[in-house]
Amino acid sequence: MTLRSYVLSRILLTIPMIFILLTMVFVVIRILPGDPVLLHFEKQENPAAIEEMRQRLGLDKPLWVQYFDYVGGLFRGDLGKSMQDYSSVTQQILSAFPATLELAIFSMTIAVAIGVFLGVEASKRYNKPADHSIRIFGIVTYAIPVFFLGMVLQMSLGLGLHLLPVGLRFNPTLTPPTGLNIAIPKFPTLGLGLHVLPLGVRPNPPFARPAGPGLDIERISFSSGLYTIDSLLECNIHKFVETLRYLVLPSLTLGLVLSGVFIRLTRSNMFETMRLDFVTAARARGLRENKVTYGYALRNAFLPVLTMMGLQFAALLGGAILTETTFSWPGLGRYIVDRISFRDYTAIQGAVVMLGIFVSIVSLAVDLLYAYLDPRIRL
Amino acid sequence: MQEKTEIRKSMLSSIIPGLASLAKRGLAGWLVIIGIILIGAIIAITAASPWIRPHNPAEINVGQPLTAPNQQFPFGTNDLGQDVFSRALSGGGIMLQVSILSVVICLLIGVPLGLFSSYAGGIIDRIFCLIMDSIYAFPGLVLAIAIAAMLGRGVTNMAISIAVVYVPSYFRVVRSQVLSIKEMPYVEAANAIGAKTRTVLSRYILPNVVPSIVVIATVNFADAILTAAGLTFIGLGVPVEIPDWGWDLTNGRRLLTCGAWWVITFPGIMIILLALGFTLMGEGLSELLNPRLEQ
Amino acid sequence: MPNQLNHTAKVKKLRNAKAIGKMAIIGIVIIILVIAGIVGYYLTMPTGPALKDTLVMGTTDSVESCLDPARAYDYFGWEIIQSLSTGLVDYRPGATGSADDIVPALATSWSVSADGKVWTFNLRQNVKYEDGTEFNATHVKYTFDREMGIADEDGPFVGIGYSDIIQNVTAVDKYTVKFYLKIPFAAFLSLMACQASYIVDPAHAPMTSVVEYTAGNPRASHPMGLGPYTLKNWTRVAGKDSEIRLEANPNYWNASAGYPKTKNIIIRFYADSTGLALAITAQEVDIAFRQLGAADINNMKNNANLHVWEGTGAFIQYLVLQEKYAPFNVTTVRQAVGAAINRTTLVQTVFLGQAQKLYSMIPIGMFGHTDAFLGLGDPNYTRTRELLAPLGYNESNKLTFKLWYETSGHYPQSAQQAQVLKSSLEASGVISVSLDGLDWPAYRTARKNEEMEAYILGWYPDYIDPDDYIYPFVQSSGGSWLHDNYNSSTMDDLVAWARGNTTTSVRSDLYSQISNLMTNDAPLIPMYQGSAYAVTTPKVKGIYLDITQSWRHWLVYAEQ
Repeated sequence: MTLRSYVLSRILLTIPMIFILLTMVFVVIRILPGDPVLLHFEKQENPAAIEEMRQRLGLDKPLWVQYFDYVGGLFRGDLGKSMQDYSSVTQQILSAFPATLELAIFSMTIAVAIGVFLGVEASKRYNKPADHSIRIFGIVTYAIPVFFLGMVLQMSLGLGLHLLPVGLRFNPTLTPPTGLNIAIPKFPTLGLGLHVLPLGVRPNPPFARPAGPGLDIERISFSSGLYTIDSLLECNIHKFVETLRYLVLPSLTLGLVLSGVFIRLTRSNMFETMRLDFVTAARARGLRENKVTYGYALRNAFLPVLTMMGLQFAALLGGAILTETTFSWPGLGRYIVDRISFRDYTAIQGAVVMLGIFVSIVSLAVDLLYAYLDPRIRL
Repeated sequence: MQEKTEIRKSMLSSIIPGLASLAKRGLAGWLVIIGIILIGAIIAITAASPWIRPHNPAEINVGQPLTAPNQQFPFGTNDLGQDVFSRALSGGGIMLQVSILSVVICLLIGVPLGLFSSYAGGIIDRIFCLIMDSIYAFPGLVLAIAIAAMLGRGVTNMAISIAVVYVPSYFRVVRSQVLSIKEMPYVEAANAIGAKTRTVLSRYILPNVVPSIVVIATVNFADAILTAAGLTFIGLGVPVEIPDWGWDLTNGRRLLTCGAWWVITFPGIMIILLALGFTLMGEGLSELLNPRLEQ
Repeated sequence: MPNQLNHTAKVKKLRNAKAIGKMAIIGIVIIILVIAGIVGYYLTMPTGPALKDTLVMGTTDSVESCLDPARAYDYFGWEIIQSLSTGLVDYRPGATGSADDIVPALATSWSVSADGKVWTFNLRQNVKYEDGTEFNATHVKYTFDREMGIADEDGPFVGIGYSDIIQNVTAVDKYTVKFYLKIPFAAFLSLMACQASYIVDPAHAPMTSVVEYTAGNPRASHPMGLGPYTLKNWTRVAGKDSEIRLEANPNYWNASAGYPKTKNIIIRFYADSTGLALAITAQEVDIAFRQLGAADINNMKNNANLHVWEGTGAFIQYLVLQEKYAPFNVTTVRQAVGAAINRTTLVQTVFLGQAQKLYSMIPIGMFGHTDAFLGLGDPNYTRTRELLAPLGYNESNKLTFKLWYETSGHYPQSAQQAQVLKSSLEASGVISVSLDGLDWPAYRTARKNEEMEAYILGWYPDYIDPDDYIYPFVQSSGGSWLHDNYNSSTMDDLVAWARGNTTTSVRSDLYSQISNLMTNDAPLIPMYQGSAYAVTTPKVKGIYLDITQSWRHWLVYAEQ
């Protein structure tokens, strides 16, 4: 099939997938023992108050009504209100998401970098001690519980050597980076509230106009939520360095645990690829070994790594939960755990939907990239 | 019933004579041997623990709380004065039960489903694929947490929640194998002769699928152990009277900051060894059963 | 042929040259980036002095719902409200809970009528809101009318039962306000001192709706304005606080006395006590308060770089026994269990001595406290065996029940407490205990459904008075939320008298009688009272950990 129909069919399949997920979680969490209504009443249990709370949380309606209300809200982009503090779930998730995304990106980068590098080196030294130790390293790191490794790193690199911070996402004494925030002078004002505007353009209402000549100002602000990008947008190198300092330990923890898979994969793929004809030909032409390995062979062995990145993404998000708790990282993983322990149905459903969409998008992108790079798939 | 006997037979026939020649197969063989030794040792220790442990692991104040490892308490004591050595010996029970149970559930559900779905083909196959992909696409730990929280505490429930998360993996592996074997000439021939579906499945397809299942099972074991530890970390483990490494890990974490490194380290090492055992076995087996790299 | 070789050589040289050229360019670019980076780093580093008048506090708490006194009913919400507003009266730092500890705040003097049902407050003059409006009696009336009108189910006004106590609030003149009560309520001043009664700013407090968190707009996120601080920043990420910044309020009525002592407070939030312990040990924060584990605190006491502050706690934990069905429907069984609890082991083993043994529901340090439950024994296994023998319980036929504990950290170290309790109960030889745990929502539901035979609960006071430790527990309607099915008309009478009488000595005597009756009926067994701890860097001073459990941000400072 053509690329276009492949893409379409994949996208179309994602939608029912998300619905199945949503329905599963919707049912499962409502069977959870523990009534979120009661959690609002530590002490007194006035039946009238409890009933009002139940209505306020929307839990008095029959299950199928709740389900269709929720799905309807989804189509409008409204994920509902948290059952704990009644604030918008969409907002809560959007505020938590960039932190997890940043952690995921850096962890995956570390995992792939370590994994591929070690995998290549291991494949070059088949059955030698270096090969064995690298393989064992990959196996052992995968077997270590993530929070255990996190604690070990916290104690050694953080507390012991005082090199890196042991928790949180950013230095408590500084304001986190907020990204681009520039004022652009727009149109000159001619005092008394009159201003020159091009034909057809209407003025922006909320600005308080000073009397007298001046300039209309418009603010352009863009905040990605990823502190690395935001601090660079702000041109604040100090904050950029601080962001990296706080990122190191959590992403190293998660990255190390995931690297084992990539070591194994790269090693076996490189081993096969290095024995193919075109590699021998490149060597014959006199290219340096490094160029042969990294330039030619790796490019071809990389495709499966790419697929694995997509597959491991779900595992990454799972591991992020424990990492985020260990490092007090304010991300989506911690959010889900907190919300489950509060039986916050709307928040949990919302997070599941968001995660499901996120994972689907990533795996779709990976599949598309694979299809684009490997013409055999499309045939 | 007959299918299961067939499975067992083909597993045994490919592994037991293989054990002897494992050592000759280089690193992969050694990995499998070491894995089996580790697993066997831990199972043996856990089973024998009621007789070999020096103290009752649940008894509090057998020694001064938070004493470092010494002659009387080789692994030290924890914050309640319990003997960490006894707890290290006895704590594997929960982990082993959970992982074995979850693998059994997966085998009983995932393998038949995969076989049936891929052999049937058509719309049934597509529906199952869709459901399995949905579960597979989702971060396993979250689903496991939600299910475990719903079902409540206990070994069976933890096993069920882990199994639910893992069934799609078995399904996928089995299905991809079946799809490739289905088109093979000897299968076609068998169908032409008029063999029943069940016979075709059990005699021809299943034995070829077994190696991949074995590999996935070992990965499943290792992951189940780590997920069980994760669930306990979140607070969804077993009641606290039962000695459990996962609980010691969670509890020991807050004691690490005051220098009591032994409370978390020894149970942590035990968990790593157990997970390692299965992973090594899986790694070795996958290389042995996929002999491409022998060239 | 030679031409071809030359050609190949030339091509090779050219390629090499190109390669070297490429490398050179890349190298130069990298060097430029690194230099720019280093320069930029130093340019963008924040200048020193800005941090001097700032203190950073770390905590594991989080505002649970919002910062509006109409709804906020959690410890941390109240801690922030106390910095953003003031009440009519307050407790002086170091208070022990007696009436002498109440000091003027927004009210300079007060009096109560003879029947105890009319309270008159004379208000402080020349107190300004941020927009220049002068604080007067109408603002007090507005506050209480609003909050009792909203009657938010989540909030303290419904939870404590303000409407059962207050009939109405009248602004007599500009600086005088009268409270007309439905019943004589001895603890009324304590009620006025608690954060639920703090005064709001009508300009920011709509009459019929609760002010909730608005991202990016701290001013719109709370309805107050008369406190030592203003809310400079409040960021919530994923439903939990990620940062709160307090800045000194220039209009604070007590600013002339030099308060708040520190102009800026930054509060950062950690996921759990281990994270907080690591942070304060690494001195990434100046103050760590709530919650640190007992082992960590003990460890920090030996750390020369940290100062551990210790004070009275008002948090108590107790064992609830379900009277609806066997075995605890028989009073002697409950007494027997009460006699078999070893509080010494509990306090030493689980809390490393950082708690006090408690023999009364009224905490140590508060008037009305007596060691009533000591009469049962601590432990007295002989007593236990004697009480259980007539009912047929002995070594071969043990009293068996399940003890429930909470697993999600709602109470400190519940699982450890349960294990120690089990051990001490079983040491009697005639009791056999099995343990099970639930996370807080399931625990809470199980409590309501009366599914648990024996369960551990904890209590933080709403207002500082023995009534808040008695009425919600043993009074028939006040204690219904406990679901232990304890009802005693004698007890109800005693509680009502103690609530209404305004003479401290009379009340003290009544509470003593109440405690004795409780020991006989043994519906609950008080176990321990937690002490309060804060850990700071050595330069931090001005911390008072008293029975009010308030963290007074405005008193804390760092000496240079």
